[in-house]
Amino acid sequence: MIKKIIAFTLLSAPVLLNAQGFQVNLQGQAQQGMAGAGTALMQDNSAVFFNPGGMSFLKDNSISGGVTATIAHGQYLDAASSTISKTDNPISTPFTGYAVFGCLDTTKYASHFKFGMGVYTPFGSTAKWEDGWTGRFALTSLKLQSIFFQPTVSWKINNKIGIGGGLVYGQGNVELKEDLPIYSNGTYGNADLTGKAHGWGYNLGVYIKPTDKFSIGLTYRSQVNMNLNNGTATITVPQSVAAQFPSGPFTSSIPLPKVLTLGLAYQVNAKLALALDINYIGWKAYDTLAFNYKNNTPTFPDTKLPRDYKNTFAFRLGGQYHITSKFTARVGVALSLSPIKSGYVTPEVPDANKVNLTAGLGYKVCNRFRIDISYTFENLKRTDNNLALQMNGTYKTYLSAPGISLAYKFNRN
Amino acid sequence: MKNILYKSVLVAVSASALLSCKPNLKAPTPGTGNIDATRYVAIGNSITSGFADGALYYDGQMVAYPNLIAEQFKLIGGGDFKQPLMPSGSIGIGSTGNAPFKLDFSTDCLGVNSLGPVPTASVGDLSAFSPSANVYVSQGGPFNNMGVPGAKAITVAVSGYGDYTQGPGHYNPFFTRMAKDPAHSSMLSDAMLINPTFFSLFIGNNDVLSYATAGGAKDFITPPAMFDASINAIVDTLTKKGAKGVIGNVPDITALPFFTTVPWNGLALTRQGQADTLTNLMAIFGVNHTFVVGNNPFVIYDASVPGAFHGRVMLEGELVLLSIPLDSVKCHGMGTFKPIPDTYVLTAAEISNIKTATASYNTSIQNTANAAANGGGIAFVDVNAFLNKTKTGFVYNGIALNAAFVTGGAFSLDGIHLTPIGNALLANEFIKSINAKYNSSIPQVDATKYRGVKFP
Repeated sequence: MIKKIIAFTLLSAPVLLNAQGFQVNLQGQAQQGMAGAGTALMQDNSAVFFNPGGMSFLKDNSISGGVTATIAHGQYLDAASSTISKTDNPISTPFTGYAVFGCLDTTKYASHFKFGMGVYTPFGSTAKWEDGWTGRFALTSLKLQSIFFQPTVSWKINNKIGIGGGLVYGQGNVELKEDLPIYSNGTYGNADLTGKAHGWGYNLGVYIKPTDKFSIGLTYRSQVNMNLNNGTATITVPQSVAAQFPSGPFTSSIPLPKVLTLGLAYQVNAKLALALDINYIGWKAYDTLAFNYKNNTPTFPDTKLPRDYKNTFAFRLGGQYHITSKFTARVGVALSLSPIKSGYVTPEVPDANKVNLTAGLGYKVCNRFRIDISYTFENLKRTDNNLALQMNGTYKTYLSAPGISLAYKFNRN
Repeated sequence: MKNILYKSVLVAVSASALLSCKPNLKAPTPGTGNIDATRYVAIGNSITSGFADGALYYDGQMVAYPNLIAEQFKLIGGGDFKQPLMPSGSIGIGSTGNAPFKLDFSTDCLGVNSLGPVPTASVGDLSAFSPSANVYVSQGGPFNNMGVPGAKAITVAVSGYGDYTQGPGHYNPFFTRMAKDPAHSSMLSDAMLINPTFFSLFIGNNDVLSYATAGGAKDFITPPAMFDASINAIVDTLTKKGAKGVIGNVPDITALPFFTTVPWNGLALTRQGQADTLTNLMAIFGVNHTFVVGNNPFVIYDASVPGAFHGRVMLEGELVLLSIPLDSVKCHGMGTFKPIPDTYVLTAAEISNIKTATASYNTSIQNTANAAANGGGIAFVDVNAFLNKTKTGFVYNGIALNAAFVTGGAFSLDGIHLTPIGNALLANEFIKSINAKYNSSIPQVDATKYRGVKFP
C-alpha cells in the first residue's frame, strides 16, 4: 500500500515535441531571388536539385558553392497571461554545392548526357527559446539539420525534352531539449534527445521545351524517411526520482515529405524571363512523432505525439531581368500554405500560411565566373490553441535569409 | 555600371536593416472594467492564507492565491497586498504545532526505504503561537490577506476569535497572531479595516472538512441554515459600501488526495494460507468475510456494529484518510485485528452527510453570489468544478497535472492544500470569473513560473 502511495504512476510524463521538418527552400541563389521558382528555368547547375531532367540542357560543365544565412527572430504571446517570450536563435547556414559534367562536343551523342552531384539542405530548423519561457515544458530548443547527397544523371532525349534522376542519401542531426516539470532546489528537470539520422530517396525530373520561349518542368522528390536508430536520451531529474526517468538510447523516424512540382517558364524577351513553380508537398506522412526509449519505466513510457499534418501547396512566382550583359536582377513572391492544422501548432515550428518576398542579383565577373546573391524575407504570425499541450497563444516570426553563391564554368569555348 | 553598383550597395544596406528587424507582438492593455482594485481584501481559510504541506510558512504565503491575484491587480491599479507573514527563516507551523512536510526517504517498520512525505522537524515554529507573537503592529496591519487556517464560514464574524485567554481549543492561534485586537476582533471586522474596494471570499471547506479530516469522529458539520446565514451576513457587510467581489464555492472532498490516496481495499495478501487464517480469525471477532489472495478491504471500527469488537470490512466508496499511521497498518495489524479507528475512516453514512452539506453550501454560495450587491450579483468561481477537473487531470502549457498525491503536481504534501502551481491555477480561476463578471481584462498568472512538489 505504501508502494501505492509513493509509486510514481504518472509523473507528468514528458511531453516531447518534435523535430518537424521545416522545409528549407534555399537550394540555389538564382532561384532564391525568384522566390524559389526554377523547375522549368534552367539557371545553372542547381538543376541537380531543381530539375534533373533539365540538367542535360546546361551548356557548360561547372561547379558551384553557396551559403545562406538564415536569421530568425520569433516571439510568443501567451493568450491567458499576456506574457511575451522570444527566441534567441543562432544563425543557421544551410549551404549548397553542385557539380555538373558531361561531354561538351555536341557532335557526339554522349553530349546528350550530363552527370551531376548535389549536396544541399532540404529540411532544417533551429529554434532556441529564451530561458524560463512559458512553453519550456514543451520545448526549450530544437536543432534539426539535414544534408542530402544526390548523384544524378540526365539525358537530353532531343532538343525538346530531357529526363533525369538522382539517388538521394540523407543524413541528419537532431537535438531536442525541453524542461520537465519536476522541481528540485530551484531548478527543473530536463530532457535532451540527440541523434543522427539517415535515409534514402530519389529525385526525378522531366524538362520539356516545346518552343524557344516556353518550358515546362515536372519533378518528383520522394519522401525520405530519416531513421534515427541510435539516439541518446539524457534525462536530468532530481536524484530521488532518477530511477524512474532513465537516460539511455532511443530510436525514432521522421518522414521528410515528398514534393511534386510543376514548373512553367516563359522567356518574354532576351532580357526578361518569368517562372512559376507549384509544389504539392506530402506532409500528410507526418502523422505522429514517436520516440521509443530502450529503458522504459511506468513513469517513462515511449512518447507518441500527434502531428497530423496535411498535404499542402506552395506557389512560387519569380522574374529575372538582364540589366546589362553582366548584371541580372531578380524578384519573386511565394505563397506557402501551412501543413499544420489548427490545434497542432508547436513552438518548434510555429508555421503559418506565409508570403515570402525575395530579391536577387547576379553578377558575371567574367565568362567563367559568376556571383549570385539573394535575399528572402518571411513574416509569419499564427494564433493557435495546441490541443495536446494546451498552449494558447500567438507566434510571430521574422525570417531574413541573405545568401551568396559562386559558380565556375569549365571548358567554355 | 557605377549606378548599378551603387544600387546594389543600397540594397545590401537595406537588407541588413531588415536582418536585425524583430517582431513586435504587443500584449493587450489590461482593462479595469467595472473594478476598483485599490484595496483588495481576501477572506478565507488555510487555502487563502497560503498554508501548504501541512503548515503555514513564508514561501507558501508568498504564493497564496490572493497574493497572486493581487499581483495581477497591480496591472489595473491595485494597491499593496499586506499579509501577516511568517518570518522567512521560520520552518512554519501547522494547526497541531507541527512542522511542514517535505518529500524525503524514510525507512518503515518493515525496513523498506521509500520516498514519501516526512516532517521537516519534530515540531513547528511554536513561537508563532505565542500570544506575544502578534504581528499586527510590527508588520503594519491591517492585513489584506484575511485567510485564517481553520476558519469556517460560521467563525468569520465571531468576535474574539483569537482570544487566547479562552484557553486551548477555544481560540484560533493563527488569528491571534494577526488580529488587531485578539480579544475583540473578528476576521470580518479586521477585514473591514482595509475599507475594501474589492474582496474575495472563499470559505466553507472547514465547515465540512473539520468533520471530515477527523474521520467524522470529531467536530461537526455546520448546519446548512447556519452556513447560509453566515455567508449572507459576510457578503452583506463586505458589499455594504459598494465593494465588488468574488466568491468561491466548496470542493467535494473526494477531489482531495487526502481522502483518495489510501484505497479502501489496500489490504494485500500474498498467500492462500494467510487469507484463510485471516478469514477464520476474523470470524471469531464477528467479522464474516472471506479474505483472498490479492486486495482485500480493510477491517474498520464501526460503533454501530454489535458486539465487543465493533469491526466490519470497508465498503467500496468508503474512504481511508491520509493521516492513517501506515506503520501500524503494515506491522501492527491495523486494518485487521485492530480495526482502523473511526478517526481515519469516512464511512458511507459520513460521506453522505458531507456530500449533502457541501451541495447545500454550494447552493447558498451560488444564490448569495447572484443576489449580492442589491441583486447585481458578484463574481462566482466554481472551485468545485476546477478541482474535479484536476481529479481527472489536465494539461497546462505542456505541464500535465492531476490530483494524484505527490506525483500529480497540483496538491502539496498534506493532500489538501495546493502546490504553488496549483495556487497559481486557482488564482486564474478567480481572475477568469472576475473578468467575466466585471468586464475587465486582467491577465492571468503565468503558472509555468510556479513549481509543483519539491523533490529531493
